[in-house]
Amino acid sequence: MNGHTNHDRTIWVGSHDAHTLDAVSAVNPRRRRRIPGIAAAVGAAIALSACATDAPQDTWQPAGENAQKIHDLQWPVFLTAGIVGVLVFGLLAVTVLRFRDKGQSMPEQTHGKPVIEYLFIAIPAVILAAIAIPTVGVVMALADTDDTECVINVTGQQWWWEYDYEVEDDGTICGFAPTAAEAAPIVTSGQLVIPADTKVLLRGTSRDVIHSYWIPRLNGKRDMVPGRVHYLRLSSETPGIYAGQCTEFCGLSHANMRMETIVLEPDHFQQWLDNELEPYTSPEEGTLAAAGESTFITQCSRCHQVNGLVDDRGTDDPDDDTLVVSYPDQFVYSGAAPNLTNLMGRNTFAGATFDLLTDECRADVWEADPEVFGERYLAGVTEDCLNEIELREWLRNSPAKKPMYADAEMLTETDGKTRGMPYLALSEDQIDELIAYLLERK
Amino acid sequence: MFTTGAKLLLGATVASLAGTVAYGVLAEGTMGTIGLVSATVALATLAGIVIFTRDANVFADEPDTFDGAAANAARPGASMWPFALGLAATTMTLGLVTYPAIFILGAILFVAGIAEWILQAWSERASADASHNAEVRSRLAYTAEMPVAAAIGLGIVIYSFSRVMLGVPSKTSTIVAFSIVATIVLIVGAIVGANRSITAPKITALFAVSSVVLIGGGAVSGLNGERDIHEYETTAYFAEKDECGAEKTYADKHASQTVAGKAGSVEVILNPDGRLVHRKPGDEVDRVGAMQLPRSNPNNLLFRNETNEDRRLVIDLAPDYEGSPPRICSMLVEPGGVQWLTVNFAVPSFAPEITEIGGYRFQVPGVDTADLEVVVP
Repeated sequence: MNGHTNHDRTIWVGSHDAHTLDAVSAVNPRRRRRIPGIAAAVGAAIALSACATDAPQDTWQPAGENAQKIHDLQWPVFLTAGIVGVLVFGLLAVTVLRFRDKGQSMPEQTHGKPVIEYLFIAIPAVILAAIAIPTVGVVMALADTDDTECVINVTGQQWWWEYDYEVEDDGTICGFAPTAAEAAPIVTSGQLVIPADTKVLLRGTSRDVIHSYWIPRLNGKRDMVPGRVHYLRLSSETPGIYAGQCTEFCGLSHANMRMETIVLEPDHFQQWLDNELEPYTSPEEGTLAAAGESTFITQCSRCHQVNGLVDDRGTDDPDDDTLVVSYPDQFVYSGAAPNLTNLMGRNTFAGATFDLLTDECRADVWEADPEVFGERYLAGVTEDCLNEIELREWLRNSPAKKPMYADAEMLTETDGKTRGMPYLALSEDQIDELIAYLLERK
Repeated sequence: MFTTGAKLLLGATVASLAGTVAYGVLAEGTMGTIGLVSATVALATLAGIVIFTRDANVFADEPDTFDGAAANAARPGASMWPFALGLAATTMTLGLVTYPAIFILGAILFVAGIAEWILQAWSERASADASHNAEVRSRLAYTAEMPVAAAIGLGIVIYSFSRVMLGVPSKTSTIVAFSIVATIVLIVGAIVGANRSITAPKITALFAVSSVVLIGGGAVSGLNGERDIHEYETTAYFAEKDECGAEKTYADKHASQTVAGKAGSVEVILNPDGRLVHRKPGDEVDRVGAMQLPRSNPNNLLFRNETNEDRRLVIDLAPDYEGSPPRICSMLVEPGGVQWLTVNFAVPSFAPEITEIGGYRFQVPGVDTADLEVVVP
């Protein structure tokens, strides 16, 4: 019976393979010759991508305590997984090549090899246990917040991050007492500024949908769920910029929801803190920036807060000045818009999607050595370094610059509120005024 | 010999002839006699044609020829689907002038009737074997009919049961009735399970009687209407009436039993000494200074009462543009209890309307020392 079956099978397989190979050879022999080359090129491209140096979101270049813990764990795990993968696929390849059907007779069929079966259970179990023990240890260590030195609230919304710095009971912020002004909550966005060598606890939530906070070089990711508070430890000894990306799909502009963490030496952080708490100063009267302040009040302040801004138009009596308070919850679905008090103290805008610095100035900051990084960052955005092109484009038509469902007429389900900055139909003169005004916000 | 068709026509011819003779002799009506004669001739002609052309060649002692004759083909079974389609069309028409739901019901019935009719017509011609045709139809139709029938049946049972439960005079009676019914079902199930000799007809009868009782009870209860069910006011209702005081209201009944989702929340704690402190996720100790909370965000707070008396947490907000109540409060929390409060600060604490009221402050009615400032940047 076996002989008969083998005989039939041999004839069928042989003839089938021959037909298939002949067909391929006849149809496209050149393509067949290209396959190994293409496979080698794709493999090389994948392998060489690991050599990239300009990779700001590389988990293999840890720069923080918790990121280092993750890195120390992932090395042995990946190594183990790699060895297992090579062994499995190697054995599979040997089996396929060596024992493929060449017309030989059917080997003797047996059933049951207890020793092999026990080994196939025991070996994976030992490997998994060996990986699980340090993994659980690292997971527990990452959740540790006992020795927090600085608390910062993080709130995600479509599609940017807001940071507000808590004033501690002793009147300090992150352990730093303001030099001149009284301590008050600092609200900023896009760039999170933290002091070096400080254990920072991010206390995060979301205003609309689930977002996920991830600065790969400083720690793992953490989902931010509306109605809940989640925490994430960040710390780094090395001053610099650490880039991140929202890692939970959160809508149309999810890919444009970026963030950067700025690590400053303590002295530089003190300077940053004092600068943030400086009282508001109006532009000099008669200047383009002064006109921009008026334009800002009429066009922007209903959503964007600038702390200390007062509306003194139409009155000479200082007692009649009205503090300008934004009410973004009436216009924006998430209920918030970035606080622009010290916009030009940051390097980015629109959810860290666009640079406020020109490429050259940006490179000066990003590529600065840790020793000089703080000074360059604190210089903020100067007139020479302003990336005016993109800022102007943004003010001219922000929905065209970043997809945001910003057309209120299309949003019946949000009661007319936009998801992001809508088109404001600003004139070129108004844009000039606003840029001049914003340039002084640092 | 003659088959059914020939017999029918020959019989009709004889009957018509007899009728003609009887009518012609007894009634002497000329026109009637002519009509009956015409009918007799026509029937006789048809009978002759049938016998002459094919039917007369079929003999009962020639089974193959007999079985294959068109006249011996199985007749179509009775069908209720034309009636169902008529009902569906009527329902749809009725729905057009009354309620969309009735139209949708008619449309569903119409589609189902069309599908069933097509399936029946096809299956009856699938082969010459009627039993095989019936089996084919069942195998196809049951895949849809059984789940739909089960869903409808289950829906009727659940709806009837719910009507009975809602029709019972009080909540306690409902619990008693439910317990009795559940016990009966359990006992009957145990008896049926233990009695191996029980027959299928008995089980069917049991289910039928139970269904009739249940549906009948549901119909009666449904017609009588639901009992008066009290609507529980929430603390928002009392906040609108400015009744967030220390006294107990109806909304506070079993307040702490409604708490859920305690994880990842900010806690506001009323200490035994009458001070309000707070603790956020990640804090190691209670904090006594101002509490900072984000703006335009539903902040979920847990109010924990560590005093010996029932207490509630209140806070005054600025009336927002939608006119939401300016004061919100938690339910009254018993000693050692916890209650949930969601607060959304629409405006920052430095806004004039907030500074005029002294800022955002959590307070506890009846405890003057309980005062916690909230900073909303």
